[in-house]
Amino acid sequence: MTFTFRFLEEVALADLAFEACGDSPSELFQAAAQAVIETIVNPMTVQPCREKSIERRAPTIADLLFDWLSDIVYLKDAESIVFREATAVVTQDQNQGEWQLHGTLTGAPIDPNSQELHADVKAVTKHLYEVRQEGPRWVARVVLDI
Amino acid sequence: MTKVNTGMAVNRITNEVWEIPVTEKSGMLVPARIYATESVLSSMDGGVFEQVTNVACLPGIQRYALCMPDGHWGYGFPIGGVAAFDPSHGVISPGGIGFDINCGMRLIRTDLTLSDVQPRLEQLMTELFRKVPAGVGSKGFVRLNRQDFQNVMRKGVRWCVENGHGWNEDLARIEEHGCIPGADPSKVSDHAIERGIHQLGTLGSGNHYLEVQVASDDRIFDRETAAALGITGHDQIVVMVHCGSRGFGHQVASDYLRVFEKAMRRYGISVKDQQLACAPFRSPEGQDYFAAMNCAANSAFANRQVITHQIRKAFESVFGRSAEELGMEIVYDVAHNIAKVERYAEGELVVHRKGSTRAFGPGSQELPELYRATGQPVICGGSMETGSYLLVGTDQAMRDTFGSTMHGSGRTMSRAQAKRSVRGDKLQRDMAQRGIIVKAVSMSGLAEEAGFAYKNISEVVETVERAGITKKVAELRPIGSIKG
Repeated sequence: MTFTFRFLEEVALADLAFEACGDSPSELFQAAAQAVIETIVNPMTVQPCREKSIERRAPTIADLLFDWLSDIVYLKDAESIVFREATAVVTQDQNQGEWQLHGTLTGAPIDPNSQELHADVKAVTKHLYEVRQEGPRWVARVVLDI
Repeated sequence: MTKVNTGMAVNRITNEVWEIPVTEKSGMLVPARIYATESVLSSMDGGVFEQVTNVACLPGIQRYALCMPDGHWGYGFPIGGVAAFDPSHGVISPGGIGFDINCGMRLIRTDLTLSDVQPRLEQLMTELFRKVPAGVGSKGFVRLNRQDFQNVMRKGVRWCVENGHGWNEDLARIEEHGCIPGADPSKVSDHAIERGIHQLGTLGSGNHYLEVQVASDDRIFDRETAAALGITGHDQIVVMVHCGSRGFGHQVASDYLRVFEKAMRRYGISVKDQQLACAPFRSPEGQDYFAAMNCAANSAFANRQVITHQIRKAFESVFGRSAEELGMEIVYDVAHNIAKVERYAEGELVVHRKGSTRAFGPGSQELPELYRATGQPVICGGSMETGSYLLVGTDQAMRDTFGSTMHGSGRTMSRAQAKRSVRGDKLQRDMAQRGIIVKAVSMSGLAEEAGFAYKNISEVVETVERAGITKKVAELRPIGSIKG
């Protein structure tokens, strides 16, 4: 498994941008989710005591990734959960061309006393948003509103 | 003519006003105007020029696409952006308002002085930190069911007053009396309600804050106007709040960006940037967004009202006197991320302000009686290490900038670079040595907000003063800060 992400300083002065990469769409989704998770909290301070399953379908891989990352932001506010890690299985329906996600987010209720909380992400944005394939690698560029 | 930070021609109109003509980008319908001194202009990032000229291409835009001197790169519109659209043929764009709908500023005065507060400052900041939740996932003390939350959306601050979280007199001291008409909760998604229902009375994080500040005699620039606004000087203590509509407003913006992406295809609108997604103002999609945006705007006014209620309780608890006895009246509350229908020479226009503050001049009928002679109070937040400003609107702003001015100082350094430059705990200790007590949920978030990451607010304020679109009243120096 070789998924990675790095934050891009030059892209978003007041906010936060990152580039995520993986050898497959599934790895890309895990990498990008981890970048959002680590923007919100130090994942090493989050106990893995709650699990959320995410099932999503979308016409394009870019739409599917956008929805997946937006779910992490939504759950932070609506259910007061932050996460330690994410797993994702992303496939494309060959008949319809639609993309599907079976994702799992593992984390815990927000607790400022035990967790190192970072930024309260407002939204995943479409600014400079991009998902592309570079040879065997899948790459996404995402800007988060902080 | 200059080409600072951009390949585009930027013509000097006055020492504080610069214009990019329509010939500089294909599709520009009006020129772009940037309010800046030469030095402020040269410090602006290239994104400002690109984005303000993209805004100048939007259908129905009137006169100019404007950017204030605190402008920097944003989503779609630059932060500091102002644009007005013909409601019949023009558009409304969430990118011209921002994800944090009705992010805004509130200033509360007191009769206390620095000598009253200094001995109990640590206790006061601890009590404020306890009573005003901040940071990721914080929940407010007000428990709402769905019906209550819909009433907050419709009534804004009026709901707070009816439920014991404010004074009747507060209403006149808030833009639109804390309630913009036309809010329709049926236009808001379940996701938005679920994100926001527990967050009333919370600060959030990022650049949001609650500050205890001092109004010193030597930093009052217009004593008569200051007095009319309740600022008496003599090291008077005031409290400033900067926050918005929290997860509720963020979700409303996200929801309607998706709606507008599809609507643009239907209406044959193309834009230079996905984040400028828009719809005709009078279209069903445009009206739905406007109704939902007003729900978020009213919830933001209510959010700052509940925070005010908690601030009053904290002061009462520490100083053993009622908030009324302590003279804790609101000076003003004003939005800096919003779209509103306002009347100008052209008739009714849909004015978008994103990181820009309404600055109506003296005599405006929209202002409450008590501020009709002075002009509207404008509250501009600086970094947590420097001062903030109280200004008033002018007639010239009504003529030149659709009654708009700056909102803050504007960042010049990335969050990552700020964190590399200083640790949050060290910054907290250094500020304490300089007499500023900081309570923060996130130390990394605190480091990101260090003063050196921002422009010099005084230079930005001088620009709008010299341009004539606002007048300086007072500079307010922080002595305590709550950060998310």
